[in-house]
Amino acid sequence: MAIAIVLVLVVAGSVLFHLLSPWWWTPIASNWDYIDHTISLTFWITGFVFSAVVLFMAYCVWRFRHREGNRAAYQPENKRLEWWLTVGTAVGVAAMLIPGLFVWNEFITVPKDATEAELVGQQWQWSFRLPGKDGKLGLSDARFITPENPLGVDPNDPNGKDDIIVQTPELHLPVGKPVKVLLRSIDVIHDFYVPEFRAKMDMVPGSVSYYWFTPTRTGTFEVLCAELCGQGHPMMRGTVVVDTEADYTAWLGQQQTFAQMTAPQKVGAAD
Amino acid sequence: MAETTLTSIGTVRPDGLRGVAADWASDQRAFKNVSWGKAMMWIFLLSDTFIFGCFLLSYMTARMSTREPWPNPSEVFALNIGGTEIPLILIAIMTFVLISSSGTMAMAVNFGYRRNRKKTALLMLATAALGATFVCMQGFEWTKLILEGVRPWSNPWGAAQFGSSFFMITGFHGTHVTIGVIFLLITARKAWRGDFDVGRRGFFTGRRGTYENVEIMGLYWHFVDLVWVFIFAFFYLW
Amino acid sequence: MVDVTHGAAIPPAEVAEVDLYHPHSWWTKYVFSQDAKVIAIQYACTALGIGLVALVLSWLMRIQLGFPDTFSFITPEAYYQFITMHGMIMVIYLLTALFLGGFGNYLIPLMVGARDMVFPYVNMLSYWVYLLAVLVLVSGFFAPGGPTGAGWTLYPPQAITGGTPGGADWGIIVMLVSLILFIIGFTMGGLNYVVTVLQARTRGMTLMRMPLTVWGIFTATVMALLAFPALFVACVMMLIDRTLGSSFFMPAIVEMGEQVPTNGGSPILFQHLFWFFGHPEVYIVALPAFGIVSDLISVHARKNIFGYRMMVWALVAIGALSFVVWAHHMYVSGMQPYFGFFFATTTLIIAVPTAIKVYNWVLTLWRGDIHLTIPMLFALAFIVTFVNGGLTGLFLGNVVVDVPLSDTMFVVAHFHMVMGIAPIMVIFGAIYHWYPKITGRMLDETLGRFHFWVSFLGAYLIFFPMHYLGLIGVPRRYAEIGDMHIFPASAHTLNAFISIMAFIVGFAQLVFLFNLIWSIRHGREAGGNPWRAASLEWQTPETPPGHGNFGKELPVVYRWAYDYNVPGAKEDFIPQNEPGSYGASREHR
Ligand code: HEA
Ligand code: HEA
Ligand code: CUA
Ligand SMILES: [Cu+2]
Repeated sequence: MAIAIVLVLVVAGSVLFHLLSPWWWTPIASNWDYIDHTISLTFWITGFVFSAVVLFMAYCVWRFRHREGNRAAYQPENKRLEWWLTVGTAVGVAAMLIPGLFVWNEFITVPKDATEAELVGQQWQWSFRLPGKDGKLGLSDARFITPENPLGVDPNDPNGKDDIIVQTPELHLPVGKPVKVLLRSIDVIHDFYVPEFRAKMDMVPGSVSYYWFTPTRTGTFEVLCAELCGQGHPMMRGTVVVDTEADYTAWLGQQQTFAQMTAPQKVGAAD
Repeated sequence: MAETTLTSIGTVRPDGLRGVAADWASDQRAFKNVSWGKAMMWIFLLSDTFIFGCFLLSYMTARMSTREPWPNPSEVFALNIGGTEIPLILIAIMTFVLISSSGTMAMAVNFGYRRNRKKTALLMLATAALGATFVCMQGFEWTKLILEGVRPWSNPWGAAQFGSSFFMITGFHGTHVTIGVIFLLITARKAWRGDFDVGRRGFFTGRRGTYENVEIMGLYWHFVDLVWVFIFAFFYLW
Repeated sequence: MVDVTHGAAIPPAEVAEVDLYHPHSWWTKYVFSQDAKVIAIQYACTALGIGLVALVLSWLMRIQLGFPDTFSFITPEAYYQFITMHGMIMVIYLLTALFLGGFGNYLIPLMVGARDMVFPYVNMLSYWVYLLAVLVLVSGFFAPGGPTGAGWTLYPPQAITGGTPGGADWGIIVMLVSLILFIIGFTMGGLNYVVTVLQARTRGMTLMRMPLTVWGIFTATVMALLAFPALFVACVMMLIDRTLGSSFFMPAIVEMGEQVPTNGGSPILFQHLFWFFGHPEVYIVALPAFGIVSDLISVHARKNIFGYRMMVWALVAIGALSFVVWAHHMYVSGMQPYFGFFFATTTLIIAVPTAIKVYNWVLTLWRGDIHLTIPMLFALAFIVTFVNGGLTGLFLGNVVVDVPLSDTMFVVAHFHMVMGIAPIMVIFGAIYHWYPKITGRMLDETLGRFHFWVSFLGAYLIFFPMHYLGLIGVPRRYAEIGDMHIFPASAHTLNAFISIMAFIVGFAQLVFLFNLIWSIRHGREAGGNPWRAASLEWQTPETPPGHGNFGKELPVVYRWAYDYNVPGAKEDFIPQNEPGSYGASREHR
């Protein structure tokens, strides 16, 4: 008896908690509001199913609880009913899956005009590399890594010379421009995650993964590492600053290129 | 109801797929004339197939994803006999030995059916001997490669994964063969002593021995051979 | 009525191979026993014991998350060691061992009418190897550098490099060895369970007459025999990487400014191997629960399970499908993104057979005669938590929705709801249900109800709010979220609340533990069939059943295990071994 009431309370409580709780996703700062919509849709469907199933169960428990002298019905199966329920479920699932797949297709097809930016993870900090004037990133390999060349840019690749190396854990991006982030790690697996951007992807040593997004509002956003990468994992922080075009170019101006970084060493070697 | 309660009783068993269906729908046994021991071995082998499958798939991915060139097997596995480099000769012999051991095993099983104590035991001993030879030759090949500088972490000719996956997979297979040899010897001894004729109880298991043990042993042995054929194909011929 | 003695056509109930090894000494009777029932109890006690350790670890974790840095000994290193051991123990050494080794060993022979497992000796070995695996695992706590802190997923390169606790010391080695041992031990037992179900049933016991408990455990075991090989291979390869410096999973990396000589390996390969095992694994711990809960509901609602056939096929379908969905754990792993389409589809398809099971459980209650016994209460709790957790699984399965949620506390909430609570509820229900058969006495009612209410509501309150932490973006495996301004202060309050709940629920488990021990002596006498259940294990001549289970004559089965409240029957249940044609309509022989 009590259990029937509790079951109802569980449903009511869960729904109320969902509606009233102060904990909800952070205000979005990228073009991925599609993802939010898909989540909301999923919440509606699953929320409905959860309530329906549990409330029906509560009703059964209350209505058919044992009382003196009442007997259970003998009803091995009911093909039609089971069939209908199956179809209903299939429809519900499809209603979530199909929009999801469309958005996923969005997510993995990078627009032509996206500018590239390389994000490099290592225990336990972030560094960044932006293509220089030529708009191309030079080749890179962990084997090239030295104290002077922390990101392992290929010294023999001309495209690499004008690449901009950012070693402070603060990346600037222009607002409203689609950007394709190339994800690289030089030791273990990390994951570049900015909750406001919704997107995330692991950075796997030995290969380059990617995703794309368009920052939609200026501001400073915290970067989290979302893949366990050793004891420093929770401390692996950074920031992304989304600038207006002007601020961005200003910031870009202050950064040093790969050539500049390695130049002094060359001179030292000469004499 | 009486008909439906005790299924598949007194009814003649249809053959083909419908027969299988009938068996699975029946009581007591899904595989009508398969003993417990045999069923257990079959299922174990199925599971073991997955292990070897995973090993080989991992090896293939490693071989395809690594950046360095893969050493050329027919040079690596060549033997220098009388001044001439003969490619894959050792492996050819090893494979031949193992396959023929399958032959002797099959004969052992055959004589086991006829409850021929001595012949069964002797043929199993022969099988064990061939198996042992195989392991020894493998040991020889390992030493050869190691002397040439092949290590799990590097080798003179290219991708490091070559050494590691070679030692891992052939090692794992070799272990199977060795275990097989040990059990062959035990079973052979039992057969020779006539345990299977008098149904003497096993020392550990306390189960009565029967000639079927020979056949179960055979299943395992043929499986180990079959796996070798795949390893052979993927390592030496690819 | 059937005359079982007519004609030589009837195969004997006693199968030729049966040949029990009767214990001679105290040692062979209670310690190195070959009796599946004793082995089952050994398995169960070991599993619950180690489970208790994992439970304590979860408190330590919750202390750190709820009240950061209150204890100096919970450093980040320690925290990661705790979650790793907690996760690994709970999934493998508690749930898998308890469901298959414990319930499997006890129930399969009794329910299919066999005298014992087909190979008692191998069955016994299985337990001792499992015990060895547990001891090796525990030894990790005392190894130099402590146990591994790589997370139960053990992703390389992290798992075998110095930045992770135990990565460069003994921790990871011990863990891998223990897993390998577990797999060997399990295989020995698993072969027994499968062959017993397929080849050692009693006369009249067709597959389609087996209780769903047996079906669940059987399907799970088959899956385990095909899934564990992948883990075995992954462990061996990682062990070689770690000890011999090979490069299966290790690309060229620079660790702490040092060039590591490894080259060309693929970390993603490990993830594929791990999850090819890992996803089936999570159903391996779910399917036995599905089976058992079906029987609990049917017995205590005094009504046949609804849609038995569908239930069986759903089990099989889930088992088969779960081998083609593994990469849904790798949506954001940097694998080929087009896999997303395939795996999202297969993953969501699994919802359909699972849904059928849920509906049939609920429809079994419909027009039943529901006795709200403790097992029934736990069964209801299972349905609630499982549906909740399963539905959040649909969020994660829908590839693009998984992108923001992956690796957040949302995932943690999902799998605790669906794995950490639901099957555990079933385990509790099952223990209350079969304890009388195992000991001959009932568990204490009052303590039991207390245990139920605290565990169910408490656990729900732990993990339901946790989803919303994930929604704000709190990542999992964070020793502390610290001072990030995207996370409101209220998030910390919520964490504290969750922790307090966890302590309360944990305390309730100790009450349960006490009940388990106390009732062995002081529990109410149960008699042979306290729940008036129809399946074979309740029809044994003596309680607890002796060695050989059924005394002189093996029972002969005439009907399925669900003849409750059959029209025209005098009792409200008909034991499976009772002759006679009434009830048991033809399609449910
Ligand atoms: C018992 C264990 C168990 C079970 C049964 C499940 C069931 C499911 N799980 Fe879960 N899962 C785990 C244990 C389990 N999971 C664990 C341990 C992890 C984390 C591993 C780690 O990273 O540490 C995990 C992680 C995990 C992920 C990876 C998340 C990530 O890391 O990013 C995903 C993604 O697809 C997923 C999906 C699902 C789905 C779709 C189901 C489905 O099977 C659910 C099906 C059930 C239902 C859907 C509910 C009942 C259905 C109805 C009531 C019908 C009505 C429905 C509709 C009409 C829509 N799970
Ligand atoms: C069956 C599996 C299971 C179970 C029961 C639990 C139970 C609990 N888990 Fe666990 N957990 C995992 C599996 C499980 N967990 C896994 C796989 C991970 C991932 C690890 C990783 O990330 O690598 C994890 C991680 C994990 C985290 C995330 C850590 C992080 O990512 O930062 C947290 C945090 O709160 C947590 C908390 C708890 C709590 C409070 C309980 C419990 O206290 C809940 C309440 C208690 C019960 C419902 C009773 C349970 C009963 C027993 C355990 C039997 C006890 C024995 C006797 C009574 C004799 N767990
Ligand atoms: Cu980097 Cu976690
Ligand atoms: Cu999964």
